[in-house]
Amino acid sequence: MVELGPEDGRLTVHTGRSGAIAKVGHDLELVVTRWHATLDDDAVELTADARSLRVHSGKGGISPLGDEEKAAIAQTIDDEVLKGTPITFRSSRVTARAGGLDVEGELELLGVRGPLSFALELDDGHLTGRATVKQSDWRIKPYTALFGTLKVADNVDVAIDATLPRSTPDG
Amino acid sequence: MVELDHAFSTGKPTDYNWDAILDLERVIPCVEGGKVIERTSPEQAKAEIKVKMGAMSMTFKGTVEVAERDDDAHRALLRIKSRDSGGQGYANADVEFTLNDGGGTIHTAAQISGKAASMGEGVVTTVLDALIKDFTEKLAAI
Repeated sequence: MVELGPEDGRLTVHTGRSGAIAKVGHDLELVVTRWHATLDDDAVELTADARSLRVHSGKGGISPLGDEEKAAIAQTIDDEVLKGTPITFRSSRVTARAGGLDVEGELELLGVRGPLSFALELDDGHLTGRATVKQSDWRIKPYTALFGTLKVADNVDVAIDATLPRSTPDG
Repeated sequence: MVELDHAFSTGKPTDYNWDAILDLERVIPCVEGGKVIERTSPEQAKAEIKVKMGAMSMTFKGTVEVAERDDDAHRALLRIKSRDSGGQGYANADVEFTLNDGGGTIHTAAQISGKAASMGEGVVTTVLDALIKDFTEKLAAI
């Protein structure tokens, strides 16, 4: 079994925007700063601290995101979106293939469990993967501002990019 | 200058609607983020509107007054003058209500400067239009 955490790589969340004034908003890259994953030939698990998301960068918009705005977005995620609830993924089926793993399982978000599948690529100890989470499938109403004219897009991408580090003796 | 026209319906008699829109303590909170700070006279109030964008917000503080009223025609002009409390900008508007049985129309002529206006007139118009639509929905339940 392999264990992974922030010291081994990056777990990131990528949001887009919609709405009548989408052009004034930003596509965000958020970094999850506290998370833990285990990886086996037949099982993948991940837990993430919902209060540990930090805005790394924002693309688009009329003006660049400042530190105050980045902090405000993280605060809004804590207060109004994820509310500090547990985030967990547990696989139900892992299929090994050349160059990686195909993973199916269940993601719990805001107390709602739903199916999620994604591919993980393994290349010489380097692990990458990307999953798309449709917020409304987890009964999350995508965040809106300014009377609904600016919205976070329903689909949010979660990506991992890590170097496989250590194996435990029972692994 | 941004000019917008909206219609609203309340399903209530004209006299009821007339009293409601002239009662600043009832009508100002119908604007999302709006509140009366002090009623300075029957026809004037100090007020503020806080426009939230996540944890960030802009607050405009100023006055709302019933600048003109024609009781026979059920037409009233509410004049809003406000300044961005965290910046140099201002938001002023003349909001003209013309009532009919069960509802009415609103003509808004607004002038906005500063940070909000820097997003461009198209954006200001879109947001203002959404704000007034939201206002008309709340007005329906007044």
